[in-house]
Amino acid sequence: MKYLDIAMNAAQSLGADYADIRIQKSTTETIYLHNLSLKNTSTDTMEGYGIRVFKDGAWGFAHSNIFDPDQVQATAKRAMDIALLSAKVKKGAGLILAPERSYIAHYKTPVKCDPFHIPLKEKVDVMLEVNRMMMNYEGIRQAVFYLLIHKDEKLFASTLGTRLDITTQFINPMISATAVLEGDSQSRTFDEGGRATGWEWIRELDLTEKAKQIAEEAIIKVKAETLGEEKRRSLILDPGHLGLTMHESVGHATELDRVLGWEADYAGISFATPEKLGNYKYGSDIVNFVGDNTLCEGLATAGFDDDGVPNQKWYIIKDGVLNEYGSTRDTAMQIGLTHSRGCSRATSYYNQPINRIPNLYLLPGKQELTPGQLIADTEDGVYIQGRGSFSIDQHRVNFQFGGDFFWEIKNGKLHRPLKKVLYKSCNPEFWNSCDAICDERFWRPFGVVNCGKGQPNQTGRMTHGAAPTRFRNIRVGGSQ
Amino acid sequence: MKTKFEKIAQYIKKHVKADDYNLRISARNSHETRFAQNAITQHIAGENISIDLVVAFENKTGNCSINQTDEQALAHLIKSAEELAIVNQPDPEYVTSAQAQKYPELKNTSEATLNLIPQQMVDIVKKSIANGESKDALVSGMTEKHIIEVYNSTKNGFEGYYELSEFGHSMTLKKDHIETKVSFSSKDFAVFNLDKTISDLNEQYASLSDPQPFTAEKIPVIIRPAALMEFYWFMVWMMNRRQSDEGLTPFTDQIGKKFMGEKFSLLSTFSIPDMIAVPYSWDNVVSEETYWIKNGVVETMPTPRYWAILKNLKPASPFNVYIPGGKTSEEEMMKMVPRGLIVNRFWYIRPVDMKVGELTGMTRDGVLYFEDGKVKHAVNNLRFNEIPHDTTKRILALGESILCDSSVKAPTLLVDGFNFVDSTSF
Repeated sequence: MKYLDIAMNAAQSLGADYADIRIQKSTTETIYLHNLSLKNTSTDTMEGYGIRVFKDGAWGFAHSNIFDPDQVQATAKRAMDIALLSAKVKKGAGLILAPERSYIAHYKTPVKCDPFHIPLKEKVDVMLEVNRMMMNYEGIRQAVFYLLIHKDEKLFASTLGTRLDITTQFINPMISATAVLEGDSQSRTFDEGGRATGWEWIRELDLTEKAKQIAEEAIIKVKAETLGEEKRRSLILDPGHLGLTMHESVGHATELDRVLGWEADYAGISFATPEKLGNYKYGSDIVNFVGDNTLCEGLATAGFDDDGVPNQKWYIIKDGVLNEYGSTRDTAMQIGLTHSRGCSRATSYYNQPINRIPNLYLLPGKQELTPGQLIADTEDGVYIQGRGSFSIDQHRVNFQFGGDFFWEIKNGKLHRPLKKVLYKSCNPEFWNSCDAICDERFWRPFGVVNCGKGQPNQTGRMTHGAAPTRFRNIRVGGSQ
Repeated sequence: MKTKFEKIAQYIKKHVKADDYNLRISARNSHETRFAQNAITQHIAGENISIDLVVAFENKTGNCSINQTDEQALAHLIKSAEELAIVNQPDPEYVTSAQAQKYPELKNTSEATLNLIPQQMVDIVKKSIANGESKDALVSGMTEKHIIEVYNSTKNGFEGYYELSEFGHSMTLKKDHIETKVSFSSKDFAVFNLDKTISDLNEQYASLSDPQPFTAEKIPVIIRPAALMEFYWFMVWMMNRRQSDEGLTPFTDQIGKKFMGEKFSLLSTFSIPDMIAVPYSWDNVVSEETYWIKNGVVETMPTPRYWAILKNLKPASPFNVYIPGGKTSEEEMMKMVPRGLIVNRFWYIRPVDMKVGELTGMTRDGVLYFEDGKVKHAVNNLRFNEIPHDTTKRILALGESILCDSSVKAPTLLVDGFNFVDSTSF
């Protein structure tokens, strides 16, 4: 596209030390079915470009939705003017960008059946059937089906000579049933958090069966007892729950911009500071976390990041020890790394890219272990499925999590369903208390499509994953 | 921009074939200077527009939005929305678009904000950083300016337009174990006083030296306005008339009842000039002076148009939040209880139990312990599990309400028996 060259020529002629342009068209289809009422059936298309200029160790970023040669040049000039202003307020010589070579490449999320091409009627019919199924249960007062389909088409060029053509997309079906009984209301949700794949996933899921399950479990849950007083117990966490726990307590804690304090005013900083690299016991010996932006169906898998750095796979925690961070070209050199790990991503064309969590997952256990064996080996504990309440401090140390569905474990058996269970823990206690992880047959991915971070706030996406995992001696109890 | 919006509306009106439509156009011009660790790390400028069209054939709806304004794009917008509606299933809860209504003329912009230039914003950042450097501390934050214009038009004759301006400056100062933040947000840059904001930051910073470990317990707490805003925001979010009528929130069957504490009121108001008050909501519900809670009684709740029609209620939407305060100073509050904590801000508040209305969250940016009427020392951050509407029954005293966001004004509160349940390491 001619605008790529116009922008890069303009930035170079203005004297940019480095510049890039990201032309991005984002298309979102949303269908929101509340009971049997279609509250929203929408298609949202946002297209424009953001030009980023690096000058004298500082950034300027300007964006526009007007596709016109003069406007592109004016936007490049604006980005340069802003970079010059930024350069008046820098530390020392300012930022240094990690070295990177140029690439000419394209990437497209592999999709067998593009959900944007599925007729609306087919989508709505599936959704209505699901909600009808849930509403048929006495006691279910509210049924929700929220379907989100998103595509980003990007053209990227930089003054390094890189030219990228990238299309990524994902689909996220979320269904929820709320039961109301005797003054209480409890919800049960099916939400895998989205995958970078097509409509074929929806067909595989058999959502009508899932609807039966969650409606029945919502009714079980509203009738369930609470756990009572908090005490130290074993916890077995399902992948659909653990995804969010690792997101909050490992993913954000190992974003290098947080480690550097760049998020101090809003999203917070990290306890996992650089002097801990290679020696800090973040978890037990069986805890291995991998950053992997090459993961098949991963929400952060895109071929390249928004710095034009290729996707990579690396250990973030190896054998329990903090190994490395997720980094970008402008954060990597701050702690003496030789290259970026390719974690720079922006949400929309008008967002300046920021350091994001990669696809990040817990490797499965090396010994054969099934969830049934894990439960059978647990005397007194709670098994948690799905995500619920979650809150963590701004240094990523202390946290409290709920869940979506709970079973008390007594003497190696699922004893009774529970509701309103919370657990409290902190880093590094929590991951060091991990004593068993089921094997790779039980590993499942879990997506996050609404990761809020940055000022102005951006919504990022990435995939996590785990097999059912046990933690010992955690404070578990009921809410008030 | 209004003329441009009207031209778009005329095109939509002329070309829409659907039985009904609702058009909403919003444009935003922003400049955002972000700084961290004593340097600018991000610096963003640009304009955006969003044109959102909902159409309906009988009760079958389709919704599309775009950010391009040429006729080809508008034709595509109409076609896409209408195609969606034609093939869609009927919506049993569909309500026709709003009719022509008078809405209040409100001044939500300031010349000072409109005229603010990037160099001035960078100068604010420089001065903020210089203050941090004078203490060998690191300062992070954001200085931002937004000009927003909104235009609405419906098939049934509603037409509305408003604009607003916003200026914001926040800064977090960190040195060793001390970390604290101040923020300012208003429609009017002219009322921003950087020297006072820096002075407030320095005062907070000085108060936080010598932190001591503190174990979580139920204890009286002085909640400062920025913290209060975050805490009660979730309660306002749960106050949905439909959800409450359906038994999903703690407010079920509480209209007209003294569900909260006598000392607590919450309203949306035009009467406070420094607060933004938009004249109508996103779904064209005209703003009216509304007490949501008056002296502890639940007067009404935000009510969407469909539920209002079904239940013969008045639709209502909060357009700002004002919690009236009192005259008690922090010094006086500290003398009212034997011991307690002072909280600057809360962080990462999330619902624990929607039906009960229970929340969890952390303190942030400074917690002080007081005893015998005086601040003794800072303490570590703490986790709470609390029910906001319950805390209104435990209000012992209220301070003066201050602007803590461009559309929120809240006081400092002294609340008895606040339920802290855990502590963190800093």
